[in-house]
Amino acid sequence: MLHVDTLHAHYGRAHILQGLSFHIAPGCALVLLGRNGAGKSTTLKSLIGLVRPTSGRITLAGQDIAGHEPHAIARAGLGYVPEDRRIFTELTVMENLEVGRLPPRDGRPPWTPERLFALFPNLAAMRNRPGGRMSGGEQQMLAIARTLMGNPRLILLDEPSEGLAPVIVEHMVHAIRAMRDSGVTILLAEQNLHFALAVADQAAIIEKGRITWHGPIAALQADPALREAWLAP
Amino acid sequence: MSALLVQLLTGLSGASSLFLVAAGLTVIFGVTRVVNFSHGSLTMLGAYIGWSVLTRLPRGPEWFILGIVLTALIAAALGALLETLLLRRIYRAPELLQLLFTFGIVLVVQDATLWLWGPNDLPLPRAPWLRSFVSIAGERVPLYDLILIAIGPLVLAALWLLFTRTRWGTLVRAATEDRDMVAALGVDQKRLFTTVFALGAGLAGMGGALALPDASANLQIDLNIITDAFVVVVVGGLGSLPGAFLASLLIGVLQSFGIVLLPQATLVLVFVIMAAVLVIRPNGLLGRAQSTARGEAHAFALVRPAAPVLRRLGLAALLLAACAPLIAGPFLLSVLTEMLIALLFAASLHFMMGPGGMASFGHAAWFGIGAYAAAFAVKGLALGMGAGLLLAPLIAGLAAALFGWFVVRLSGVYLAMLTLAFAQIVWAALFQAVEITGGDNGILGVWPPPWAADRRVFYWLTLLLCIASALLLRRILYAPFGYALRATRDSERRAEAIGLHAVHIRLAAFTLAGAAAGLAGGLSAFSKGSVFPNFISISRSVDGLLMVLLGGVQSIAGPIVGAIAYTGLFDLLLLATDQWRAVLGLAIITLVLAFPHGIAGSIHRLWLRGREA
Amino acid sequence: MTILSVAGLRKSFGGVQAVTDVSFTVAPGEMLALIGPNGAGKSTCFNMLNGQIRPDAGTIHLGPLDITGLPPRRVARQGVGRTFQITATFASMTVRENVQLAFLAHHRRIWHLLRPLAAQYRAEADTLLDRLDMLPQADRAAGILAYGDLKRLELAVALAGQPRLLLMDEPTAGMAPAERVALMRLARDLATTTGLAILFTEHDMDVVFGTADRILVLNRGALIAAGDAAAIRANHAVRAVYLGSGTTTGGH
Repeated sequence: MLHVDTLHAHYGRAHILQGLSFHIAPGCALVLLGRNGAGKSTTLKSLIGLVRPTSGRITLAGQDIAGHEPHAIARAGLGYVPEDRRIFTELTVMENLEVGRLPPRDGRPPWTPERLFALFPNLAAMRNRPGGRMSGGEQQMLAIARTLMGNPRLILLDEPSEGLAPVIVEHMVHAIRAMRDSGVTILLAEQNLHFALAVADQAAIIEKGRITWHGPIAALQADPALREAWLAP
Repeated sequence: MSALLVQLLTGLSGASSLFLVAAGLTVIFGVTRVVNFSHGSLTMLGAYIGWSVLTRLPRGPEWFILGIVLTALIAAALGALLETLLLRRIYRAPELLQLLFTFGIVLVVQDATLWLWGPNDLPLPRAPWLRSFVSIAGERVPLYDLILIAIGPLVLAALWLLFTRTRWGTLVRAATEDRDMVAALGVDQKRLFTTVFALGAGLAGMGGALALPDASANLQIDLNIITDAFVVVVVGGLGSLPGAFLASLLIGVLQSFGIVLLPQATLVLVFVIMAAVLVIRPNGLLGRAQSTARGEAHAFALVRPAAPVLRRLGLAALLLAACAPLIAGPFLLSVLTEMLIALLFAASLHFMMGPGGMASFGHAAWFGIGAYAAAFAVKGLALGMGAGLLLAPLIAGLAAALFGWFVVRLSGVYLAMLTLAFAQIVWAALFQAVEITGGDNGILGVWPPPWAADRRVFYWLTLLLCIASALLLRRILYAPFGYALRATRDSERRAEAIGLHAVHIRLAAFTLAGAAAGLAGGLSAFSKGSVFPNFISISRSVDGLLMVLLGGVQSIAGPIVGAIAYTGLFDLLLLATDQWRAVLGLAIITLVLAFPHGIAGSIHRLWLRGREA
Repeated sequence: MTILSVAGLRKSFGGVQAVTDVSFTVAPGEMLALIGPNGAGKSTCFNMLNGQIRPDAGTIHLGPLDITGLPPRRVARQGVGRTFQITATFASMTVRENVQLAFLAHHRRIWHLLRPLAAQYRAEADTLLDRLDMLPQADRAAGILAYGDLKRLELAVALAGQPRLLLMDEPTAGMAPAERVALMRLARDLATTTGLAILFTEHDMDVVFGTADRILVLNRGALIAAGDAAAIRANHAVRAVYLGSGTTTGGH
């Protein structure tokens, strides 16, 4: 679904991504693990085009998207849910969803508000509430729902469990699994290992802007030494 | 009673075209976050284009409507062109540089309009239906006034429907909050911005054209209307259309009554109302707390003392300046004196604007108060120049402390507007206190005593006072107080959390800056031998802003370089060409595009490149 | 002996009760965690403690001193330090200058207009930075620090005020697991050696259960449980509204 080949990106003068390469098969859920500043968020931002990569190739379903404008990349089928959710606080839930709406893709049934309310039942009761008057957990659900309205082939989730109460994180696990079952490919950046183990089937460890390990999540779970290496300061 | 009604209706009709212009301004600001000075130019172009269109069409009402619509469309197209060619390139630049940039556009458009339509006012020949009256409560009310009164609410309703009931409107409101996120959701924000800008420009053009039957197309429209529109937008609350509507009614009615009751004080009245609203409701009548739009973190650069090489360069320049009277003739010497005064004025503005984060649009107020204090000391109290130069910073500092008490509680555009309001109040007060200030005639004969009458001696005195004061300001910035001031700008939350009283610190900085500007004003009074109300004009405040921004807000040497560059540029231009506005405007536009961090800031960056990992 | 005692704290926004009748105390050297669902009132509670929000009712005492309703700067001067969920430091200054300014503010030496800051409280700042392993970064701009370092700088700035009570709002949010452990170990160390009391909010249950002496649970503005890690984990009400089954957060 997604192929990333020797991606380089800078943030100001800092060289953040230093030749990053990985790929995700359709229907997979890959988690990017890594320390702060390792380049997880920058990877996702480079994919969606909010950070312009300096060099490297990115193809989404065979289509070259590196260096394109964010809106063109989103229209090519990449969905992005940022770390801090970035809900439109003055817009209602329904209006937030409307902003995310894009035409259906590949003849698959499009996501509609009704389908999304089935996935996130909490949202159904607050259709006309402004985004600014929702709790952190509700905002995270809305952020994901808003991105799904664009019928993405692949969705990028930047630390979806960050700052959320444990019970809400459990909801989030169910929702992400359901999303995957409906055919959306998933790439998420995470710090919370428990959460990663619960939703991903593949893992990649990123260090200093390069992928240093890539494999099934079960292998990571079975290898304490590897986890230690990633956890160590 | 009925006279009141007529006056009220006149005010309401004036409010309508003001509302159209202000609505355009607020819509554009909401999405692009650009405080667009050139919005007034679009209004002026609307008036001129409207004149050209309407004078070519038959005079029936249906043709008038067609002409107005056509004018709005042309203005919208011009706006779209302006956005795609120029403004699009500066969306990521600092807010104040954007302002400077749009001011450059104002200057260019002024000369272009002069060239296209000539210097004369162009009144619209009024068709019979435009001259007809309707009888209300026994009073004859112009029909056109009633039409205008109806247009305001109609446009408000149409805009409200557009923004809440259409997908385009939803996208615009979303982009107002977070443009990057909107793009990441698949919306082409470039096209969205262009359409918003076109809408705003169309409203401005329509406002300009609709005012034609009551006024004329003239070259003063741009700055007059932009000041009023800013006031309306700020009083109503940035980004709020209903707020802009309410505020334009308020201002419109106030102006129409003011002209009858207090013809001299109309302008002051408007600004007093604005100041009162901002003190009671710091975000305007219907505005909400200002949040910086997402996706544009304001990272402040590290402030470091200049490198030794640059210091030596500065010292060399100073030595050269000290030797100047030995070489330069009287004309050049007076230009150099003006440059030094400008330098202190710019440095004082920079002090509050850069490290203090308080961009003032009315800094000329303290300059003017200082000048008048010095002049009054000499002519009114018969004191010497020494006393005058002592009183100038003292009185200016006191006045700044008094006004600052209101000002430092606000931030951003609101702060800028309140300082502008205070400058206007000071201007009007000096203008009207004829017995003391001589009103429009100013105070003449403010000459230095015999020992300093020689231009060279006065130059050396100015050099000493200006450089010493500028160095003192610099020294304060590296002392704990300067750091505390920057702390309140970097993060007020953190500043308060370590026990700093942000309001007191800002007030002290505001007072110091006012005093320094006052000294500059005092020197200017003696240098010119006279003072006039135009010492406090908006254009002098803008000059100061231009100097600081041209030099670069982030660097302490910035205002000095800026003052020299600007004064030099200006004097050269005045000598060399009649089209100085266009040339200056183009120079500003080019400079902002080439040096988004100001001249000194950009040199500093080049300097740093390769020196820091 | 207590450092902070809060009694009957209440706050409502537009008729909605954000905090209802919250009372608790913190002892010197104690680490107290405040947890609860998003929107339970933790931030409101915190902002009342440091003076950003004025409570509708109730009292806050720092030692014997009533600090209810004082503005943040005066609360700070009484010895309450604070770190923010979204870090707040002075981006245009170096790491060392940030700390020097905090020292100067604490010692009320802000109004000096002439003597350069560079030489003042430099040694004190370096000692403190060294303690937090930040000395190698002392000359870097705060604006370009990595996130974990920024959090430690914020802690240094808060500590320069020699607080008796430290309020930490989600201190480890956005940090990698190893950094979280290190930062909280540092906090624990400070509390034990200096008697500093620390009150913190947190969503990482590894951090909460691993470092807090005592835990308060807030739900819909009211305290629903208080106790040590074992008691909170076993509490049914807390499991239902907050912890869940614990499979995804290490709360098991």
